[in-house]
Amino acid sequence: MKRIYLVLPAIMMLGSAGYAGNTTPQKLIAGFAAQAGTTPSAARGKAFFTGKHSGGKPETPSCLTCHTGNLKGIGHTRAGKEIAPMARSANPKRFTDSAKVAKWFRRNCKTVTGRECSAAEKADILAYLSSI
Amino acid sequence: MRGISENRKTIPVWDGFVRLFHWGLVACIATAAVTGFLLGPYWIPVHVVGATLALGLILLRIIWGFSGGTYARFSSFVMGPFQVFGHFRDMLAGRESRYIGHNPLGGVMVLALLAVVIVLALSGAAVLGASAKAGPLAFALPYKESGWLREIHEALATGLLLLIALHIGGVVFESRRHRENLARAMVTGEKEHREGDVISAPRAGQLPQAIRKGAMWSGLVVVLIAGLSFLPVPRSPVADYNPLVAEECSACHMLYHPSLLPAKDWERITATLEDHYGEDASLDAESTAEIRDWLMANAAETADTRAANVFQLNPAEGVKSLTDTAFWRARHRGLSDAIFNSKAVRARSNCVACHEDAESGWFNPFEIEIP
Repeated sequence: MKRIYLVLPAIMMLGSAGYAGNTTPQKLIAGFAAQAGTTPSAARGKAFFTGKHSGGKPETPSCLTCHTGNLKGIGHTRAGKEIAPMARSANPKRFTDSAKVAKWFRRNCKTVTGRECSAAEKADILAYLSSI
Repeated sequence: MRGISENRKTIPVWDGFVRLFHWGLVACIATAAVTGFLLGPYWIPVHVVGATLALGLILLRIIWGFSGGTYARFSSFVMGPFQVFGHFRDMLAGRESRYIGHNPLGGVMVLALLAVVIVLALSGAAVLGASAKAGPLAFALPYKESGWLREIHEALATGLLLLIALHIGGVVFESRRHRENLARAMVTGEKEHREGDVISAPRAGQLPQAIRKGAMWSGLVVVLIAGLSFLPVPRSPVADYNPLVAEECSACHMLYHPSLLPAKDWERITATLEDHYGEDASLDAESTAEIRDWLMANAAETADTRAANVFQLNPAEGVKSLTDTAFWRARHRGLSDAIFNSKAVRARSNCVACHEDAESGWFNPFEIEIP
C-alpha cells in the first residue's frame, strides 16, 4: 500500500506533463482582478474557501465539505467520487483551463453559497489556492 | 471386539465413491439451500457453485450407476412398479424383506432425489440466465420470463426439502425397524449381513471404464456450459460511452449507464441539471443536448438486463433516485449503514464501490465484492 503513495505523485506529474492547458493561474487571477478592479488577496480567498456559508444547498455549507481540510490531498464528492487536490502545489493541472475554471466556479459557488461568485472573489480564491 | 464381529458378520455395501457422492451431495445441497433460502444476492455465486458441483456429482453417480459394483448399480435397486407396490404392501403388513442395498421404495427415493436436483439446477440456470443475464442460458431467455421460472425454481426447492425430509424419515424408520444405524453404514460402507436378507448377485465395478466415461462426459458438460455462457446476449446494454457523457457525467459521480433508466427519466434529469440531486450540474445548452440525446437513445428501453427492467423514477411520489426505488431497497436489505458510509463506499449512490461492473450496466452477481 505504501508504494502506491510513492508512485501516485509520479503518475500525476506524468499526466500533467502531456496536459495542454490554455492559460495559467497568474493570467486568470490578473483577468478576474482587472474585471473586479480589486487587488487579489490570498487571505480573503482563504476566508471564503474555508469558511461556512448559508444560502446554498444545506448539504454543502462550505467548499471544504467536499474538498476537505487538506487541500493538498484528495477530496470526495457527496457521491463518493474522488476530487484531485485543489492546491496548485499538489496538482499542477489546476487552473490551466479557463473553461473548466468557469464551469466549476459557476456550479460550485451556486451549490455552496446560492449565488455566483464575483470576479473579486474568484481572484481571491485562485490567489489562495495557488499560494498553498 | 473380536467376539462381536464373529457373531455379527458385516459385508461391504456402499463403496468409496457412493459414500463420497452421498456426503458431497449433502454438502452441496446444504450450501445451495442456506444461500438460496436465507442469504441475499451477495451469496448467489456460492449458491451457483454449490448447485453446479451437485450437478457434477450426479453426472458421475449416474455413470457409476451403470459401471459400478453390486449395490452402486441402478439395476440393483431400480425396480418396477409391482415390486415397489408389493414391498410397500408387505411393509404395511409388517412382513417386508430386509434389503442389504436400497429397498424398492428407497430406490424410488434415490431416483426422485436425483431427478429433482437435476431439474432444480437446470431451472436455477434458467433464472440466472433470464434475470441476472449470467451463465449458460443468458443468451436464450428474455427477462420477462424470469418470474415464472423463479416460481418453478422455488417450488422445486421446497419440493426437494420435502423429499429430503421423507428420505431422512425413511432412514430413521428402517433403522429402527431393523435395529441398525443406516446413516453410519453410509459412513463406514459396511452393513451387517443377516439370514433372509435380499442380496444382489455380486458384480465387479469397472473403474477404468467409469473414469473414461466420467472424464468424457464431464469434459463435454464443461465445454457446453462454457460455450453457451459466451454466446452474445440479445439486447445487451450499449458497450461504449459517448465521450462527452463519459467526461461530464463522471465528474462528480460514477457513470450511471443509460440502460438504468427509461428515456423519460433521462429527459427530465438532463432538463433539470441546475438542481441535480442537491448540486448545480448545469452545462452549456449544446453539451446538455448531446448528452440528453445519447442517454435517451440508449435508455432502458433498448436493453434487457434486470436493471433495465426494474428501475424507473417517480419524483412526484418521492422516488427521486435509483436508491429510493422499492427494488433497490429490497436488494440491499440487511446491508448496514456502516458499509455505505465506509471510506471505500461513501454513498449509497456509489454502486461501483461493490458492483465492479456497475458502469457497464450489467450488474452481474458474480461481480459483487463488498470492500
